[in-house]
Amino acid sequence: MKIKNIYKYLFAAILILHLSACNNNTDAEQLFDKTPTERLNIQKSELSQALLSSQFGWKTVYFTDNTVLGGYTHLFRFAQDGTVEMASDFDSDTDVYKSEYEIQLGSTVSLTFTTKNRIHLLSESDNYPIPALRAKGYLGDFQFLYYGQENGEVIFKANRNGTEIRFVKATAADWADLPKNLVTEENVIGSDERPLFRLLETTDGTTVHKFDFSFSSVTRFAESNSIEAGYSVSYNMGVGYTPTGIVVSPAVEVGGQKLSNFVYNDADGSFTATGTGGVSATIKYTDKPLVLTDDYKILLPGKVYARFGYYVGDYIEDAATNSKLFAAELAKINASLPAGQRVSSVQLYLNHSLGNFIYYTFVGRSALQHYVDVEEDPVGKKIILKHKSWNGNTTVATPAFLAGFDSYLMDPNGIYVKKENFRVFYSNTVYTFTSSTSPFRMTTWQLN
Amino acid sequence: MKLFKYNKLAIMAVVSAALISCGSEDQPGESQLDFTQPTKTALDNWITTTYLNPFNINVQYKWNQNTVDNSRYLFPPTIDKVKPALEIVEEIWLKSYSTIGGADFVKKIAPREIVLVGGVNLNSVGTRTLGLAEGGQRVTLFETDYIDQTDRDNVSEFIHTIQHEYIHILNQNKPFDEKSWAAVTPVGYTADWYNYDIPESNEIGFITSYARSNINEDFAETASMILIYTKADYQAFLDGIQSPFAYQALKTKEALVVKYFKEAFNMDFYALRDEAEKNTTGVINN
Repeated sequence: MKIKNIYKYLFAAILILHLSACNNNTDAEQLFDKTPTERLNIQKSELSQALLSSQFGWKTVYFTDNTVLGGYTHLFRFAQDGTVEMASDFDSDTDVYKSEYEIQLGSTVSLTFTTKNRIHLLSESDNYPIPALRAKGYLGDFQFLYYGQENGEVIFKANRNGTEIRFVKATAADWADLPKNLVTEENVIGSDERPLFRLLETTDGTTVHKFDFSFSSVTRFAESNSIEAGYSVSYNMGVGYTPTGIVVSPAVEVGGQKLSNFVYNDADGSFTATGTGGVSATIKYTDKPLVLTDDYKILLPGKVYARFGYYVGDYIEDAATNSKLFAAELAKINASLPAGQRVSSVQLYLNHSLGNFIYYTFVGRSALQHYVDVEEDPVGKKIILKHKSWNGNTTVATPAFLAGFDSYLMDPNGIYVKKENFRVFYSNTVYTFTSSTSPFRMTTWQLN
Repeated sequence: MKLFKYNKLAIMAVVSAALISCGSEDQPGESQLDFTQPTKTALDNWITTTYLNPFNINVQYKWNQNTVDNSRYLFPPTIDKVKPALEIVEEIWLKSYSTIGGADFVKKIAPREIVLVGGVNLNSVGTRTLGLAEGGQRVTLFETDYIDQTDRDNVSEFIHTIQHEYIHILNQNKPFDEKSWAAVTPVGYTADWYNYDIPESNEIGFITSYARSNINEDFAETASMILIYTKADYQAFLDGIQSPFAYQALKTKEALVVKYFKEAFNMDFYALRDEAEKNTTGVINN
């Protein structure tokens, strides 16, 4: 083609482009009828108005990460002048404090608590509940991205990790009852008087499933695993306290229903969440271990000599399986002994050449041997220790200072024996002895 | 030339089309942006008159995700703690340098922004970051919620942070003699400085363990430690050093710091130290 023609076509093309450009009739779909700035401004004022609209402010149970931590209840009352009054059940201080807030523009419109208040306690790098959260505090945030409103609730997502936070309208009662959450905390931890074993029981109206249940108060997190063979379901959940019970996240799903609000029953210390059609979940106490083992059998007459010991002041003292009642009873022995005397160990000798006996050793006085007969409860899978004599003398009465402690081991209903799957510092096997009628549990090393 | 004429015509047509096309009668409306100034509290006004107007230094105490590391679990200061912290900074740092370096010294070389963070900046290895200086422009001070003006050690630590970070700012404006510095204690710099006790680091010629992280930190630590020691305490510290090598190294570093202040800023470092000591005592005794 001649160069002249190239120019011709080029001019023609450019002319056509010019003439056909500037067409306003775009057929592209208009997603928004306002500019981004206008939309952000609308969102800002919408959020601001919403926060100010509730007479008693807002309430949220903030689950910062429901795979490791529980929920922390916060109450907020926002004021026009940029200040906010706040209270939380993070610790025993449920007083109301004032600080500042702003509606800020981050990746979207957000509510930011700009000066320190209660919510910042969740984001304190050197205050962390478990070593795994070192330098991460309680994984909390205080810049909440605004995600709209639903059924009168304001929905946010944490700027840091995207956790959803829902603000619900608070009532006067919410503010007045906040300290009751601390009472609930005590109830979730459980009093020393309550039995040692706990379980989560779910029912969909017909089938009942049982799960063990353990709660960590420092993280407000509960772990619950099925105890049934061939049914491997677990419910691990963060726990938040309410004046009447607990709220859990994620919800316990039973028969397709999500149960998250558990109500406390002070009579038996249980927490129950009720759905519809007979569906419910209950966290409750039991005197009986959830899984009974045959571990007790090595103590029975005719077996080989076995010896177990608990030593005061040694690592075994720190075993979490020692119950508070056990520690209290041990302290009672020392309290009733004369000055300078104290108990130093409690040992169990089974099938020894001298017989079966509980061997108490002391600092400042001679040891005592409580000779017993060992009986089996094959149905309850327990052993029952029956009194024979003290130091071989059948006429001597039980020494008064030992009577309390000794009676738990001599529980007429029997004691559970469990070979634990953990070690306490040394490589010795660990056995626990638990009274079947009271929260008394002693941890021992197997000594031979 | 026929082609040329034709081109001229065509270009004119194209240019005029370009100029007159896309005309629109719509005028821009009011700005959509919110220009209203946030209401200023008494604290904000105090900051304006104490920091912003005289020194052109902005103080940020309210949380702003753009000035902090969002991967760290930090929080803004309690409002009541802001002023006491800033007063310490003003008294010990601004006043000392203004007196010795001249009234305009801090105005010219200063961080343009001080960011206060209330919480502790704990690192995963267990150390705490007390302060940060960035690009000669911004200083971030942590743990302002935990300042206890009645506790000398506590205040000293906070002051140490300010002095240390300001030395960084000075270095970021005028570099020090890195070559000479690196030659003083060529061995001893280590990334896991926090595994060493301070007396152990002293005995190989470092004023603190943190000084061992690199020469920049070493310079800032050496200068800031001398500034927060009293003259007598510093002498006592040097006298306690067993190793002759370490003693000499510390003295050499001190001389380099003094030389830096003289050559870079025409300042008498010892006079500055005495002024800082005076003002520090003033803060703690108040």
